Amino acid sequence: MSIKIAVIQFPGSNCDLDTLHVLQNVIADGIEAELIWHNHFKESKFDGCILPGGFSFGDYLRSGIIAAHSPALDEARIMLKDGRPIIGICNGFQILTEAQFLPGALLRNESLKFICKWVKMRVQNTNTPFTHTMNNGDIINIPIAHGEGRYFINNLKELEENEQIVFQYCNDIGELTKEANPNGSMENIAGVCNLERNCLGVMPHPERSSEAILSPYKTEHGKFFFESMVQFIKRRSS
Amino acid sequence: MPKVKVDGDNLDVDLTNHEIEEIKELLDRDPSITEWGMFDVMHSEHCSYKSSRPKLKLFENAEENYDYVLAGPGQDAGVIDIGDGYCLAFRIESHNHPSAIEPYHGAATGIGGIIRDILCMGVRPIALMDPLRFGPLKNNSHSQWLFKYVVKGIADYGNCTGIPTIGGEVEFDKSFESNCLVNVACIGLGKIEDFKHAPSRAYNPGDYVILMGGSTGRDGIHGVTFASRTLTEMSEADRPAVQIGDPFTKKMIIEATLEAIKTGYVRGLKDLGGGGLSCALSELMGDGGTGADIDMSKIFIREPGMNSFEIMLSESQERMTFIVKPEGLEEVLNVFRKFEMAHAVLGRTDDSRILKVNDRNTLVVNLPATALSDAPPIEREERRPSYLDKLLGQKTPKLSLELDEIIYKLIASENICSKEWVYRQYDHEVGVRSIVKCGEGDSGVLRVIGTNKFIAASVGVNSKHCYLDPYHGAKGGLVEVCSNVIASGATPRAMVNCCNFGNPEKPESYWFFSQAVQGMADFCKNMRIPVVGGNVSFYNEDEVTNTAIKASPVMMIVGIIEGEENIISMPFKNADNHILLIGETKAELGGSEYHSVIYDLEGGTPPKVEEKQIKATWDFLFELYENNLVKANHDINKGGLIITVAEMCFKNKLGAELNFKGCYNEKLRDDEFLFSESVGRFIIEVDSNDSEKIMETAKRFNVEVKNIGVLNSESNISVKGLIEKDFIFDVKKMKESYDTTIPNLMEI
Repeated sequence: MSIKIAVIQFPGSNCDLDTLHVLQNVIADGIEAELIWHNHFKESKFDGCILPGGFSFGDYLRSGIIAAHSPALDEARIMLKDGRPIIGICNGFQILTEAQFLPGALLRNESLKFICKWVKMRVQNTNTPFTHTMNNGDIINIPIAHGEGRYFINNLKELEENEQIVFQYCNDIGELTKEANPNGSMENIAGVCNLERNCLGVMPHPERSSEAILSPYKTEHGKFFFESMVQFIKRRSS
Repeated sequence: MPKVKVDGDNLDVDLTNHEIEEIKELLDRDPSITEWGMFDVMHSEHCSYKSSRPKLKLFENAEENYDYVLAGPGQDAGVIDIGDGYCLAFRIESHNHPSAIEPYHGAATGIGGIIRDILCMGVRPIALMDPLRFGPLKNNSHSQWLFKYVVKGIADYGNCTGIPTIGGEVEFDKSFESNCLVNVACIGLGKIEDFKHAPSRAYNPGDYVILMGGSTGRDGIHGVTFASRTLTEMSEADRPAVQIGDPFTKKMIIEATLEAIKTGYVRGLKDLGGGGLSCALSELMGDGGTGADIDMSKIFIREPGMNSFEIMLSESQERMTFIVKPEGLEEVLNVFRKFEMAHAVLGRTDDSRILKVNDRNTLVVNLPATALSDAPPIEREERRPSYLDKLLGQKTPKLSLELDEIIYKLIASENICSKEWVYRQYDHEVGVRSIVKCGEGDSGVLRVIGTNKFIAASVGVNSKHCYLDPYHGAKGGLVEVCSNVIASGATPRAMVNCCNFGNPEKPESYWFFSQAVQGMADFCKNMRIPVVGGNVSFYNEDEVTNTAIKASPVMMIVGIIEGEENIISMPFKNADNHILLIGETKAELGGSEYHSVIYDLEGGTPPKVEEKQIKATWDFLFELYENNLVKANHDINKGGLIITVAEMCFKNKLGAELNFKGCYNEKLRDDEFLFSESVGRFIIEVDSNDSEKIMETAKRFNVEVKNIGVLNSESNISVKGLIEKDFIFDVKKMKESYDTTIPNLMEI
C-alpha cells in the first residue's frame, strides 16, 4: 500500500505545487501525494502532512496567524497527537508556531528585509522522522526566502535541554557564526521540533534543494527530509 | 484642457476639440457624463496609443511572418510556440508615473497589472523581471527613497504572489531623478490548448459577463489620463490616481482563474487595468463583434454612494472579467466560491454590437462597442535636436589617472556594481524552475519541468547610448539583450518592448521615439526576430526641472536552450584556460560609463550596429556551442572589456594574465580599447588546447577573435601589451567595492 501525504493549500500558499512536484517526481517511489484545499482536509485519509511555504491569507495581521485558525489545523492536531509526521516549511513553520504545535515565534528578519539566498545549516538532531537518514553535524545546502524568519523563544534552555533544536545556520565548516546567521535567529536556529519529535518546522526550503539542477552546489540535500519522512511512515505502519 | 458641458456643468476632458466633435457626430447626440468619462480615458495616450500607432506600424507583422508566433502585438501579451506542446506568453509594461509619486504602491500595482496581462492568455505566470531607472543615489535622498520603495513594492507584491523575480536591470542617470522608470515584465508558461481556450474577446452572443476579484472603489480613477501627462508641481495631488495593490487577492485571482479555465466554460477573459471596466468591456465586445447589456447595480463597490462615472472609470486593482458559456455558469461560479472570491454576474452578451450599461433603471451608457476603442491616430511632428551635434563632437580628454585607478572607480559605479542589494529581496527561486539565478549569468534561465527545454530571458537598454543616437542605441540595446541570452546558450526567439519617452507633442522628443522604433524594427527584421508586443509610455518629463528622461526603449528577449548540458554560465571555471575576446573593439566611448564616471561627459561617438557582423558573431558562437567549446561566456557591456573580465573572475576567485599585444592597432588609444562599449562583443573561456582551432573557425565566419590571456589562481589581473604601460590590479579589492557600493549608499 502506498503512503499518503497531504500538501495543505491555504489561500496564499505558494510553495504547494513545488512541494507536490518533489513528492511526485523526485521522491515518487511508493507515495501518493495530494494537494488539499485547507478546509477540505480530513486527517483520516493521510499518513502525514506538509504545510508548504507562501503567504497564507497574505500574511495579513501576522505571518501564519489566520491559517493557524483554519479547520485544517484541527485535523492536523489529531495527527500530531497520534504521532503521524507533520512538517511545516517557511510559512508552514510560522503557522505551526502560531497554532502552538511548536514552541517559539518567528519575527521580522534583523535586516528588516526579505532575504532570498542559499545558506548552510548543521543537523543537530537526527532523532526525528525528518532527519533520521542524516548524520549529526551534516551540513545541508538549502535556500531561504523569507521576511519573518528570526527564531525567538523565551525559554531557550528548555528547548536545548529537550533537544528540540533540529537545524542551526552555520558557515562552510559547520561553525555557528554570526555571519552565517541570515536573519538574526536566536542561537542560529533554522528548525525545531516538538517534544514528541513528530512535528518539524524549518525556515529554509527543502523542496527547493531536492534536485541537483537547482543547487549552486549540485547537491540534493532537501531530498533527505522527504525520504526520511517516507521511511518513517513505512516503518511505523509495518 | 477643453471642457464639455453636461447638464449645465463643465467637465474637464483630455480630448482635442476635433475628437469632441467627432464623438458628438458619431453618436448624433451629446454623450452622458459617464460616456464622456469613458471616451476621455479610452482616448488617452495610455489606452489609445494615438501618438505612437503611426510608428508602431513599422514593426513587421509577427503573426503573419513567423509560424511559431501564436499572438502578436495588440493582444494582452505576445505568445510563442516553444515546442513539446508548450507555449510562452510574455509582455513588458511601464508603471512610471504612479511610481514617481508613490513608489511602493506604484511599483506593486505595476507588477499586479503585468501578471493579469499574462493570465489573460490562459497560462500560469512563472517569472517576473524588472528594468528600473533612477537618479544617481549618491547624496540624493529622493533617489534613494524612490529606489528603496520601488524595490520593496516589487518584492512585497511579487514574493506574495509566488512568482519568482528572476532578473532585471537598474540604471542610474540624472535624467531619471524626477521621472524614475519602473518597467515590469512577466513570462507565462502553459500548454498550447490552455492559451487557445481563453481569448480576450467576447465573440458569442448569450454568454454571461462576470466580474470577479476585488471590490470597485474610488482609487485609481483617471490613472491613465494622469499617466498621459507630464508631471508638475501639482502631481503630488494626483496621488489618489495611484491604485493600491493587494497581492494576496492577486494570488487568489491567479489560482481561481486558472482553475476556472480548466472547466472549459470560460469563453473570454480580460483583466481590468488602465481604464477599468470601460476599457475591459469595450475591448471584449468591440473586438469580439458583440454587444452587452450590463447591470451596474450588481457590481460590488467598496464604499456607498459611488456614481456610475466613478464605477466605470475606477482602476481598482485585482479584478478580472470573465465571459462564460451559459451552460457552465454554475460550475465557474463554484470555482470562485471555493477561493472565496467576490463575483457578480453583470449581464449577458448579445448581437447588438452596442454596449449598454444600466444604473438601476437609468441607461447611463449606450455606445457602439467599437466607438471607444477606435481613437483616431495623430501624426506628430518630429525634429532632430540641434544640441546633438555638439554632444557627438565631444572628445575623450587626455588620460589623467592611472588605468588601475580608473578600473577601481568604474567597478564601484552605480551602473556597474553588483545589484545583489536588489535581488536578495526578491524571491527568485519559488516555482522550482530557476536554474541560472540572479547574479549568476547574463540572463535568467528557467527550466520547463517535464521537458529538457530551458527558457532564457533578459531585459534592458542603454539609455546613455540612446540619448546620443536613438536609432543605433535601440539596435545596440537589442544586441545587448540578445547577447545576454546567447551568452547563456540560448537562441533568441522573440522580443517585446516598452518605449519610455518624453512628451510626444514636442517634435524633439517624438524624434527620439521615431528613431528608436525604426532601429528596433530594422534590426528585428534583419535578424528574423518577431516583435510580439509592446507598450509605450510618453510624457516622462517634468515641468519642475524641465527635463525629459533619456530615451529608454527597454527591450525583452526570450530565448530557448535545448538540453541542460547546453546552458552556459558566466564565471570563469579553471586556471590555465584561455580567454578569448570576440568581436571588434572600436573607438566608441560616447555614452560610456568611462566618460560619465571619470570625466562627467555625456557625449562622444556612441556604438553603431552592423547587423552583418552581429549575425556572423552569433553564428560563430552557435558553432562553438555545437562542439561544446565554450566553458564560460559573458557579453561585454557597461565599462568595457576589462570590467567584463573582472566580473568573470569574481565567483571562483580566479585571476588572469592578460596580454593585449597585437589585439588592437595604433588607431585606438589604450583607454578606448579597454573601456569602449562597442556592442556585440563577448569574452569566452576555452580550453587551452582548443584555442587555435577556434581562431581558425573564426576566420571561416569572418569574425574577429583575439586570444587575450590565460586564467590563473592568483588574486590579481595583470595587464601587458598596452601602448602606454603595463599594470596590475587586485581582484579581491574590486570585488569588495563591486559588492558594497549600493549597500553603503543605501545605509541611511
